[in-house]
Amino acid sequence: MSRLLIAGTAVALAAAVLSLGGVLRSAGATQADAPHAAAEALTSGFGAGDTTGLVTQLQHALRRAPGNVHDLDLLGLAYQQRARETGDPTWYPKSNGILNRALRLAPRDLPATSGLGSLALSRHRFALALRIGRRAVALSPSTAASYGIVGDALVELGRYRAAFRVFDTMARVKPGLAAYARISYARELRGDWAGAVRAMRLAGTAAIGQPEPSAWVQVQLGKLDWNRGSYAAAAARYRSALRAFPGYVYALDALAQVAAATGHIERAIALERRAEETIPLPQFVGLLGDLEHAAGHRRDALRTYALIGVIDRLLRANGVRTDLEVALFDADHGVTPARTLALARHAQRARPSIDGDDVLAWTLERNGRCVEALGYSRLALRLGTRDALKFFHRGMIERCLGNTAVARGWFHRAVELNPHFSVRWSPVAWKYAS
Amino acid sequence: MRALAFAVLAIALAAVGAVVAFRGGPSGATASSHREAPLIAQDPTADNTDAYVFRSPDKPDTVTLIDNVIPGEDPAAGPNWYTFSPSARYDIYVDRNGDGKPDISWYFRFKAGTPTAFLGGTQQSYTVTKVVDGKSTVVGSGLLTPPDNIGPRSTPDYHSLAQKGVQPLSDGSTVFAGQRDDPFFGDIGAAFDLVAIRQGTGATGGGKDFFAGYAVHEIALQVPVAMLDNASHVVGMWTATDRPRLQVNHGKAKTSWVQVSRLGNPLINELLIPTQLKDKWNATTPANDKQFEKYYLAPSLAALLNKLYPQFGPFKETDRTDLVAILGTGLQTPKLNYTGPTFADELRLNLSIAPTAPVGQGNRLGVLGNDLAGWPNGRRLEDDVIDIAERAVGGALIDHALPLGDGVDANDVSYQPSFPYEADPFSGFDNTKGQLYPTHP
Repeated sequence: MSRLLIAGTAVALAAAVLSLGGVLRSAGATQADAPHAAAEALTSGFGAGDTTGLVTQLQHALRRAPGNVHDLDLLGLAYQQRARETGDPTWYPKSNGILNRALRLAPRDLPATSGLGSLALSRHRFALALRIGRRAVALSPSTAASYGIVGDALVELGRYRAAFRVFDTMARVKPGLAAYARISYARELRGDWAGAVRAMRLAGTAAIGQPEPSAWVQVQLGKLDWNRGSYAAAAARYRSALRAFPGYVYALDALAQVAAATGHIERAIALERRAEETIPLPQFVGLLGDLEHAAGHRRDALRTYALIGVIDRLLRANGVRTDLEVALFDADHGVTPARTLALARHAQRARPSIDGDDVLAWTLERNGRCVEALGYSRLALRLGTRDALKFFHRGMIERCLGNTAVARGWFHRAVELNPHFSVRWSPVAWKYAS
Repeated sequence: MRALAFAVLAIALAAVGAVVAFRGGPSGATASSHREAPLIAQDPTADNTDAYVFRSPDKPDTVTLIDNVIPGEDPAAGPNWYTFSPSARYDIYVDRNGDGKPDISWYFRFKAGTPTAFLGGTQQSYTVTKVVDGKSTVVGSGLLTPPDNIGPRSTPDYHSLAQKGVQPLSDGSTVFAGQRDDPFFGDIGAAFDLVAIRQGTGATGGGKDFFAGYAVHEIALQVPVAMLDNASHVVGMWTATDRPRLQVNHGKAKTSWVQVSRLGNPLINELLIPTQLKDKWNATTPANDKQFEKYYLAPSLAALLNKLYPQFGPFKETDRTDLVAILGTGLQTPKLNYTGPTFADELRLNLSIAPTAPVGQGNRLGVLGNDLAGWPNGRRLEDDVIDIAERAVGGALIDHALPLGDGVDANDVSYQPSFPYEADPFSGFDNTKGQLYPTHP
């Protein structure tokens, strides 16, 4: 396997730091771009421009009445929405500051409390999110949204039984899109594919009339199809998401994966680039790099990968924990294995979810510590989740341990479930499966 | 990662909810019950916007009951057309003995529309189930809504198309369900910007109708007076929407419904109920409304009026038993629509009071305008509930009559003289939201 070194190129990083400003700015410009904005305004009623206007309006109102807790709440949430629209995490500390100001004025304020909870989730501070979410539930046990914060945090902390109970409570307090989507995710984690699809379809019936939530549900349904290797069905869902919400980045990113899986690599690159140029999320940039690499555009790939380091530093500087994502990226791309292992161990301790376990298992395998890796891979598959990448990781670990036949079984399972689950790894799985 | 996607969605939704509560753009201009808890703003198909109940002026031996849902439908919303949610249950309730519990319930279940080439899948079939004293009867099935008003090519001659949606039920009543012009009117932008009335005290026009041009989905019933009447002649009415409960570990359990939205009197959840109780209020049946009475007794609007109009004050900020009477028990003095001591948020209609004017032509101030056939005796489409609410909170019933209002006195288009009364919606093609681009070579 090719071991691509991306770290340690300080010059590349510095150059990318400069260009990142450009990326973020041009993201704004893309959204302000006339035809795009017009299409979005027509269909969504909630374009980026509205949040910008809202922020200005609220800042203005707060200059006149700095103690207005309601306006502070709204501004804190609007800052988080800006982060979401642009991928620019510098909005997070602003949101944090404003919501804390609201809480100093009104310590039992629910929107500020749950706003800080969702912020903690966005920054991957799951133990903190759990504490805040529980405070929100205590403030108002009848408000459904707070259970979402608690449940999401519990999932990331690997406390699934408690998390699923909380999702059940949420769906009893107030069934709707937010609760149905979480139930769907829980069922998917447990390997209940049909149940997950049913719950997500129900979520879709609770999203009628709302462009972005409708598109979001379509993308989730598409991902359920994708996970089973039903690429045509997945692509149809993603295209329907784009009809509901033109330019929807999560649909573009997902379509890029389908394009790559069906052998249209240049098309995949173009789609992923559109997603990445609109909102430079690290997962978009990472996939773009992998696609460029797979297409033989080595130099483009290097440039793209370098950008991830920059985005990561920007995320960290603004309070986002990225250990797990960085560990996975570094393990996948062969970056300083020993340091990556330390990072993965740290990440798994903070986030002992099946994803944390899986990344640690994979990083251990990359470091040749396959006995220990096996234990974490078992943990990663403890819920019965049907995830081709986790199957593949297990295959690699078994292979490393010399259990060739067992390994081949896992590779088989991976490619049978989703033949092209990863641009980088499915070819390897195919090779070892035969 | 998936978890990140969830967090992202949560923020999007929370922020969208918050934004809806603030701005006046396409998704912000909504009917009277839209400034709600973020969660209900995220589920427009389960959002009850307005409830109406009145004796039908053109058929005075009948009562019309209306449940409007889905706030702020932009007529040009394609391809994201609006429909009733096929997974929701829409409810209209009537309380005949003043205990806050339903004695007659109507449940409406809609099927997903079949996507056809031009109608956007907005024509839905539906079933009406009526429950009286625990006995359930299907009074209509295979009923059809008209499609949404898409435009003259997709939905030509929309008026007659829509009127085909008026259909009989097996118990002698009449039903309609489908898209309509939002009958609600008001300067909601001003009302929610600390009652920033644009001109004077809002009694001389000059307001901006934020609902003009937008549509809602209407469920309307027309039933014989005799079906509801009782010895006191006063009945209570409210509407609600339920969604099915779901569990991670699913069995073959029967659908269990959870009420996620309800509406009796207008503006209650947005003006009186504190944030942390909004979900709970929506899930509660009027019989259990006693727990919320204290918020009716001390409306924040009264404090606001004191700040806004000190020259007219003082406005009574606490112990507002006059408001509790209007909204929670019915009026005893003057004797109008009292249903007993149980505090329950319902529209209360005295069936012995005959209609006073054709639809749309009653006194917009209702009872405060000496027209006993209007809110808070039931509620008609033309009742100017924002003005009435401001005046009532201002103390109209406790000898403190003031010309307060929002400067919008009537709907932008006329209602229909006959059932289902609410006007045809603007079409997506020639809606009032856009403007023609100048022609050029």
